[in-house]
Amino acid sequence: MSAAIDITWLGMAAAYLLVLISFAILLWQQVPILGQLGMAVVRMSVQLLFVGVYLQYVFDLNNIWLNCAWVLIMITVADVSILHHCRLRVRSFGAPLFVALLLGTLIPLLFFTGLILQRPNILEARYLIPIGGMILGNCLRADIIGVRHFYESIDRDSRAFELTLAQGARLGEAIQPYLREAIQNAVAPTIATMMTIGLVSLPGMMTGVILGGQPPLAAVKYQIAIMIAIFTGTAIAVPCAILLTRKRGFLPSGPLNREVLVD
Amino acid sequence: MTDRLQIEDLAVQLGSKSVLKGFSLTLAEGEHVVVTARSGAGKSTLLRCILGFVMPERGRIAVDGAALDIHSVWSLRQRMAYVAQEPALGQGSVRAALERPFTYRANSLLSGNLDRVPKLMEMLRMSTDLLGLDLRDLSGGEKQRVALISALLLDRPILLLDEITASLDRESAAAVFATLAGLRHQTILAVGHHADALPQADRAVALDRAATSGAPS
Repeated sequence: MSAAIDITWLGMAAAYLLVLISFAILLWQQVPILGQLGMAVVRMSVQLLFVGVYLQYVFDLNNIWLNCAWVLIMITVADVSILHHCRLRVRSFGAPLFVALLLGTLIPLLFFTGLILQRPNILEARYLIPIGGMILGNCLRADIIGVRHFYESIDRDSRAFELTLAQGARLGEAIQPYLREAIQNAVAPTIATMMTIGLVSLPGMMTGVILGGQPPLAAVKYQIAIMIAIFTGTAIAVPCAILLTRKRGFLPSGPLNREVLVD
Repeated sequence: MTDRLQIEDLAVQLGSKSVLKGFSLTLAEGEHVVVTARSGAGKSTLLRCILGFVMPERGRIAVDGAALDIHSVWSLRQRMAYVAQEPALGQGSVRAALERPFTYRANSLLSGNLDRVPKLMEMLRMSTDLLGLDLRDLSGGEKQRVALISALLLDRPILLLDEITASLDRESAAAVFATLAGLRHQTILAVGHHADALPQADRAVALDRAATSGAPS
C-alpha cells in the first residue's frame, strides 16, 4: 500500500471552507458560540502548526534526551491541567500527581515500544511521542475523573468518613471504598470505549495507520495494543495519583485536609 | 476512681468564630456526664476535639492519662465510641452497617459481639426485621438507635453521645436512657441542649459557664 497523501495548501484552504458551513448553521440558529468556534479553530490551527513544525524537528534529530524532555513537558502540562480541573492546590499535589502520570505513562509506553513494537531504540521519537501522547491524554482524563471523584466524595461524605475513623478504621481502611469507587469511575470510559470500538466509528490510531498506508489488519493490531496500553496506563495512574496525594490530602489525625481543596 | 477523660483549658477557633474558650472537665471511670449548651456553642465541636477531628487552639485532652496528639490519636480513638446527632452510617443495609466496623483490623477480634445485636435491638425497642432494610429507608430515630447499637457493640470504655435522642419519641428515648443507665462500667459524655439529654447523668455541666470543672462530686 502507498503512504498517506499529503494535503496540499489548497486542500487545507478547502478544509477551512468546510468550517463556513458550520458557521452558517450556527448563525442561522442564532447559537451564541460563534466567537468561541472562531477562536477554537484559530487556536487549534496555530497550536497544531507549532507542534507539527516542532515535531518535524524532533523527529529529524531523533535525540533520545530531547525525546524524553518532550515527554516530560507533556506530563508537566497534563499535571497542571489535572490540578486545575480537580480544584486542588498546585503546591500540595503537583509533585505526587506528576509521579503518578509519569508511572502511568512510562510503564505501558516503554512496554509498547520495547516489547510490542520491539524497536531497537525504545526512545525513538516517531513512536515515543505520539504513543506517549495517546497514553498520557487518557491518563490525564482518568486522573481528573478519579482524583476529583475521590476527594469530592470524601468531602461530601465527611460525617460518614469521620464515623468510620471513630469506629477504629485506619486511614487506608477508611479511604478504601472511596478509592475503589474513584478507580471504577475513572476507568469506566476506557472500558466503554473498548466495548464499542470499531462498531460505532474507526478509532483514531487505526485510521492513522490505514491512512499511513498499512493494511487494515496491521492497523487493528496497533489499535488493540494501544487500547490495552491506555487501559493499563489509567489503571496505574489513578490509584497512584490518589495514594501519592494521600499524605497531603488528609490531616495527620485522619480527616480530609480541606486546605488542599480550592474553594 | 481513676480519671478516664481529662479536658483542660480547651479553646477552639473555627474560622473567625471561637466556639470553646478555656473549657475544662474531668470524667472518672464509669461516670456519666452531660454537657449542656445552646446551639452553636461548641457541643459537637467538643466531641470532635476529643476524637481528634478538630485540633484545638489551646488546651489538652488526655485519655487514661495519655495526652491526645496527632501520634496518639489513632490508638486513643480505639478507646472511644461515638454517636453523632445525625448519624451518617454509609450505604447498604442495617446489617451491613453493623458489621462494617468489624472489618477493620482494630475490631476484628470483636466480631463475636455481633451476637448481641438482637438483644440490643430488643432493648432499644427495634425489630430485628430492620436488619435487612436499606439505611435510606430508616427514620432519623431508627438511624440514631442503629448508630448507638453500632457504638455499643465495640465495647469501648468511653461513649461520646451527641444529642442521640433528638429524633426519638418519648418511649424510644426512655429505652435508650435505660440501656445507657445499665452501662456503669463505661464512661459516658453526652452533649445536648438540656440535662435531659442524659437524665441519669451523675453530673450536668453547662458548657458556656464551665470554664473549670473538677472531679465528680
